[in-house]
Amino acid sequence: MLITGIKITLILLVATSISSLLLGTIIVIMRISRIKILRFFGTLYVEIFRNIPGLFWILFFYFVFPELLPRSWGDALNGYIHYPVIAGILGLTVDNASYVSDILRSGRLSIPHAQREVAISSGLSRVQQYLHVLLPQMFRATLPPLGTRMVHNFKNTSLCMAISASELTWATQQIESLTFRGIEATSIATLFYIALASIMVAVIILLEKFLNIDVSSLKQSKA
Amino acid sequence: MIDLLGQFDNIRFYLLGPYPKGDIGGLALNIILTILAISFSFIFGALLGYSRLSCRRYIKLPCMAYIEIVRATPLIMIIFWMYFFLPYLVGGHATIISSAVVSLSIYAAAYQAEIVRAGILAVPRGQLEAALSTGMSRYGAMRHIILPQAFRIMIPSFVSFFVSLFKDTATVFIIGVIELTQAGIIISQRDPDKMYAAYLSMAIGFWCICFTMSHLARRLEKRVGVFDLESIRPDACRDEFMLLPKQKKTGEGIEESTACAPEKPV
Repeated sequence: MLITGIKITLILLVATSISSLLLGTIIVIMRISRIKILRFFGTLYVEIFRNIPGLFWILFFYFVFPELLPRSWGDALNGYIHYPVIAGILGLTVDNASYVSDILRSGRLSIPHAQREVAISSGLSRVQQYLHVLLPQMFRATLPPLGTRMVHNFKNTSLCMAISASELTWATQQIESLTFRGIEATSIATLFYIALASIMVAVIILLEKFLNIDVSSLKQSKA
Repeated sequence: MIDLLGQFDNIRFYLLGPYPKGDIGGLALNIILTILAISFSFIFGALLGYSRLSCRRYIKLPCMAYIEIVRATPLIMIIFWMYFFLPYLVGGHATIISSAVVSLSIYAAAYQAEIVRAGILAVPRGQLEAALSTGMSRYGAMRHIILPQAFRIMIPSFVSFFVSLFKDTATVFIIGVIELTQAGIIISQRDPDKMYAAYLSMAIGFWCICFTMSHLARRLEKRVGVFDLESIRPDACRDEFMLLPKQKKTGEGIEESTACAPEKPV
């Protein structure tokens, strides 16, 4: 049970990290674009999703989202045995993406304006500017806060137990109710969380060293 | 939209929970939990953050261990630990609200400690040097010069931490505390056809408070200035930052100063 729980937790972690990075990038491109409507919707997204707990979004996608869809789709989703995990992924993604986009936006502000001018004058199209000049620098400059956010995201996967996604925390509670060995199971799970979070932090620090990131440049731009 | 208006009948339950007949709950309980947890954890967190800056290993290491372990553990795990253990610890009966407050405080203390530490380190080093050179004692300099400025710097972070802790109080519904999330779930189960209306009201409740507070935080940040937790090295130590110049020039050239040894004559 614990092994399955760890598996599901890892699936949640990987899926939400990747999807929230993608969604966050899309949102941040919307927020810094020249088109007013896109900018409005990007800001609206962040204001809504940042100010409501992630737990709410997980519950929302599990309970309410199938009701809002056409009936046959909703029934299909409710009947699907892995739907809790998927709802958890959706909820964590929309929550995390708002933070990611906020972090990336501070990274965009740290890029000197000259970079953009050089990109324009070397004849890159707008898409190419983003892909080859702006986005890589944004990710590079914001690696430390992004890493912290991903650790947070990892911890938030434990919230999925509220919708009975069979991840690690849920497994410990099942063990508790079946065998009354809750303390052992909870200790193992806590150790696992601490260990994996420490590994993530270590990887991020190594990456920082490897990429030689100067955090002070980011700080200056914010102030 | 009509269905949302129907939720007005339940507005008392959303805001106060089963209050006149039972314990207080709903949004009011979220706010109370946040304020209680913030106040308890502030005391504990300030001590932790200050001692983490200490140069004595036996003080610094336990504090570092506490902060890192709590920061690496999901809140839900801490809540379960306290839910199961608090009755053992106090030897008898502990209400779920008290275990919620304790676990939120334990969780918040680690984050508050980091804010306090970063705030103290963010005060320019010249301030302490100036204070010491006017003949103040180290304690007096800390008390009258550094801490007042540090707290001023910390205020925006505290407000944004308030927002995130407020959102985290939603988690305690897992042990059955009737706060806003639980109230919304109860109402949505009473009337499953209008589930989305219950969830919408829940979202509005959280959103209003978080939105106001986070705008307040942004306003304060503009006034006080931003400082970044990430920019401060995790192994920084108070004396290294404040009492000794980072590098001192000697006859041969630049030589690393001995950090963590303020007793040595510089």
